Amino acid sequence: MNSLILLLILVFGGALFSYLLNKFLPILRDGFVVLLMLLVNYVFFTMDSSTQIDFEMGGIHLQWAFTSAAFLFGIIVSILGLLSIIYSTAYMKGKDRLGYFYMNFLFSIGSMLGILMSRDLISLFFFWEIMTWSSYFIVIYSGKDVDKRGLKYIVFSAIGAYSMLMAIVIIYGFTGSFLLTDIFDSIFAIKASYQLAIAILLMIGFGVKSALMPLHVWAPGAYSGSPMSFTALFSGALSKMGVFGFALVLFNLVSNQNWLVNEVIAWLAAITAVLATFYAVIQSDAKKLLAYSSIAQLGYIVIGLASGTYLGVMAGLFLAVLHAVFKGTLFMAVGAVERQAGTTDMTKVSGLIRKMPWTFTASLISIIALAGIPPLGGFVGKWMLYEALITSDHYYLVIMVFLSSTAAFLYSYRILFGLFLGQEEPEFAHVKEAPLPMLIPMLLLSGISVLSGTFPGFILEPIQDAMVVFGFDSRIPNIEWWQLTVLFNSWGDKVVLQNVMIAIMGVFLIALAFITIKGYRKQRYVTTKDISSSGEIIQPEDNMTFQIDFYKPFERAIWPLLKRRIDDYYTDLGNGLEALFDLVRRIYNGNGQFYAIYVMAFLALLLIAGTKYFGF
Amino acid sequence: MVISPVQYIAIPLMAAFLIPLFGKLNKDLARIIPGLVLLYLSYISVVLMNQIISSNTIIVEIIAGWRPPWGINLVFSPLTGFLASMFSMLGFVIWMYTYNFKPEVDNAQKQKFYVLFMMLITGATGIVLTGDIFNLFVFLEITAISAYSLTAFYRERDGAEAAFKYLLIGSFSSTLILLAILLLYTQVGTLNMAEIALKMPGVDPFMKGVILILFFVGFGIESELFPLNGWSPDVYTQAPGPIGAIFAGMVVKAGIYGLVRVVFTLFDVKEILPLLVIIGMITMAVAEVIALRQGKLKRMLAYSSIGQMGLVAVAFGIGTHDSVFAAIFLMFNHAIIKGMLFLSGTYLVYNSTEKTLDDVDGIGKHLPFTSFLFALGALAIVGMPPFAGFWSKLYLLMAAADVRLMTVIAIILVVSVIEIVYYFRVIHRIYFRERISTIELKIPSFNAKLAMFILAIIIVAVGVYPDLISGFIERATTDLLDKQSYIQSVLSVGLK
Repeated sequence: MNSLILLLILVFGGALFSYLLNKFLPILRDGFVVLLMLLVNYVFFTMDSSTQIDFEMGGIHLQWAFTSAAFLFGIIVSILGLLSIIYSTAYMKGKDRLGYFYMNFLFSIGSMLGILMSRDLISLFFFWEIMTWSSYFIVIYSGKDVDKRGLKYIVFSAIGAYSMLMAIVIIYGFTGSFLLTDIFDSIFAIKASYQLAIAILLMIGFGVKSALMPLHVWAPGAYSGSPMSFTALFSGALSKMGVFGFALVLFNLVSNQNWLVNEVIAWLAAITAVLATFYAVIQSDAKKLLAYSSIAQLGYIVIGLASGTYLGVMAGLFLAVLHAVFKGTLFMAVGAVERQAGTTDMTKVSGLIRKMPWTFTASLISIIALAGIPPLGGFVGKWMLYEALITSDHYYLVIMVFLSSTAAFLYSYRILFGLFLGQEEPEFAHVKEAPLPMLIPMLLLSGISVLSGTFPGFILEPIQDAMVVFGFDSRIPNIEWWQLTVLFNSWGDKVVLQNVMIAIMGVFLIALAFITIKGYRKQRYVTTKDISSSGEIIQPEDNMTFQIDFYKPFERAIWPLLKRRIDDYYTDLGNGLEALFDLVRRIYNGNGQFYAIYVMAFLALLLIAGTKYFGF
Repeated sequence: MVISPVQYIAIPLMAAFLIPLFGKLNKDLARIIPGLVLLYLSYISVVLMNQIISSNTIIVEIIAGWRPPWGINLVFSPLTGFLASMFSMLGFVIWMYTYNFKPEVDNAQKQKFYVLFMMLITGATGIVLTGDIFNLFVFLEITAISAYSLTAFYRERDGAEAAFKYLLIGSFSSTLILLAILLLYTQVGTLNMAEIALKMPGVDPFMKGVILILFFVGFGIESELFPLNGWSPDVYTQAPGPIGAIFAGMVVKAGIYGLVRVVFTLFDVKEILPLLVIIGMITMAVAEVIALRQGKLKRMLAYSSIGQMGLVAVAFGIGTHDSVFAAIFLMFNHAIIKGMLFLSGTYLVYNSTEKTLDDVDGIGKHLPFTSFLFALGALAIVGMPPFAGFWSKLYLLMAAADVRLMTVIAIILVVSVIEIVYYFRVIHRIYFRERISTIELKIPSFNAKLAMFILAIIIVAVGVYPDLISGFIERATTDLLDKQSYIQSVLSVGLK
């Protein structure tokens, strides 16, 4: 059987089967879903890259195949899918409606694979909508605040999906085909104004999923409200579908002819990155913090793509892969804290480092990657991004990115400090390390984080293949992936990492040596002028750390920026519309006589106007 | 027995008269007979559809040996056959659903229900099959009268008021159509639809316009177009649950068929089509907007139903082959999906007197199967893949894009967002609220579950593989738009 169809049958069939299994044999459910995802990974990675299907459905020519770009994103989906499913088996233990949960989980994974393999816009949209409703069903799974959170997600998704659909049918109206290959050839023949309209509509469609401001308002609630095992996939892979779509649209449909579109997108993304980072800093819930951080990180990715240069796109895609890795880990880690300690509120929980050392290790590595500190992958990606923006003369964007990534240090530190450092509270004395099925995915992913910093080549290689699909030629010299490392770079002229790396490592080593030597003296004598303790002997129960209003001064400084939230505008708009709708409702006042008058008036109007306007 | 289209009318009509008689013999017979009748009608639908598809002809049945244009004739073509088959099969499913619907309703009441049901089937099927315009009027009256009575079926509810409103507006419809037929007869001197179509080019344009407007308003009332649809929300709300499905699936469909037949075949004036698009858009926008503000489940479904009919009108109004294809697909989808929503929604608010949305809070835990089907129907009607509603919406948008009606596309999509909001609100309520209402729930009987399940299967099957149905719809579209071959095949029958 064709492996593409096999893949879809496996995931979608498996989804339905897992639902039934939960009904009749719940004991086998966890094993089944993990096995299923292993199988999916096996099929995915052993697939022949030239596999393609063409078929007709409902009179529409559909085509499925994995291009190398799709394959790159497919790697994220399948691996992160597998790991988050493994994580789920422990994370979701003891919760109800697990059949529902796993079914929709697998539906989302399947629909993402479907989106990636679509080579025509109809299948793309078809799977896109399946992804929308299946993820929506998990977003509302917890049942908390559903009316607001869930509705926001589905309404924004619907707006996005329908703008996309409108663009799709307009494209069809002009080119007469849904096949991407046909469209790429003929899109530039249609009128420029329509081209722009198509671009904008598609941008809205993909912008919603990649949480680009001002379309991001659904994301914090949806990310933080879903079960964390799903959010790992949601933020890691599902939002990347928006990025994938962006890449498709920007490079194949809009091209660099419309440089203005690129600029606008880049600026929107930059604003997203900055504002979302600020929001992230002032959050006191770790889940919310990570949600905003995801939005900000997606901003970087889109900036990279929109910059349009070879290096920029490469940086964007590299960050996309990496974001999936470290944000996946972080959401899993926060999920572990949530499960073990019962809350992720950083003003309450603290000092878990000794209770959950492995979770801490995974978080630490991911935070280092996220903040872009060498030698982990985040650094490589950010470096490439800066380089790309500077060489393409986007100096203001560099400032924005720099501002945002500096502010990102604040929240990076806060999440580590808030959850793991600080004083141990008696109320969290019972907390234990997360079970193995939760630890293994986290540690595996942090392993990838480490690897990606030292050997970025193994991610850059598929990215380089992917970029051929987006119309760039391959430029990396043909070398094996392990040769392309941070320290021994034989890559090319643009990014010279090794000097920087050596310098940073040098500083790091000196600092390490300094701290070690300084800390060698065990006993420390405190003078009366030492204001940190003023000579008093500190008792264990004295609270020396603070967690409430952690970044108060910062918050005060950025307050003018955050005062009026975009959210409020949408709420006002929604309320205004509902009031308007209530007015419309008065038309049907329940009085039969009125209805009769409507009929007569309509008839009279038609008879009077009809002869004039309809040309009888 | 030789299978012929005339049985579509004769058998249910006969059954309607025989039900009280057989009810005397055995009280269960009264409710078994309609099932047998509808099963038989479904069977002949399959046979006849097969026949016309394989031989690529249409069946014209002459009644009482008077060949057209003198006598009444029935036309079983890909379009009319498709609709008639849809009515019979949907009717059978609804019969299955009603079989045990209200066990406490006494036998005499039940007999009445089935008599009216059979009459309604006769009327609706007759409207689509007949080739004679006056005959169409008669069937419309049969449908309307049985629909009035079914609306007022429950005495203890406000059904009488709703029925009265319906009667009031419905009599406008009948009067206007009758007037139109009279005027038409003075102009062309015939009642046979094929011959009217043939003679139409010679009619005075002014008279043509007036007659068309009368028809438009008359059928517009039946097909729930704004502002002629004041009757319908009340009717849907007050009529027994399954009757809502019958309205959405048959009565309204027959109404829009009449409108379309008149516009496309009899008059064939393209000038009225933009009006249809505009009215359709307004109908859709107004209805969906109101549906968003409804606090009662059945009323919400009613407005949603009106909105969908607006969409159908828009699709017919665009008037190209593709859009008519989309329109017929929409009619089919709306019949099955809204049918299922009414059937499952009825059980969600079965014992509630007010039938407000609060009554469905948290019901997903207590009625999992019904709730699931309702949610599935909601996803399908808003056009989510992989359900049937997706394809019809897609085809409509494609057709609109072909003729560059970008505003129409935009409005349809904006309205779809509104639709999503109110349907998903109900899903939230069903699954994610705590149940506070103390109203006793009614577990659907097995046959009701089976009936809903059949519709769900069709929705999913068509959604995953639209080619199941698109071949028939394609033929129906060609049939509707090919006026000449309709005239030809009706008038040439029995000549040799």
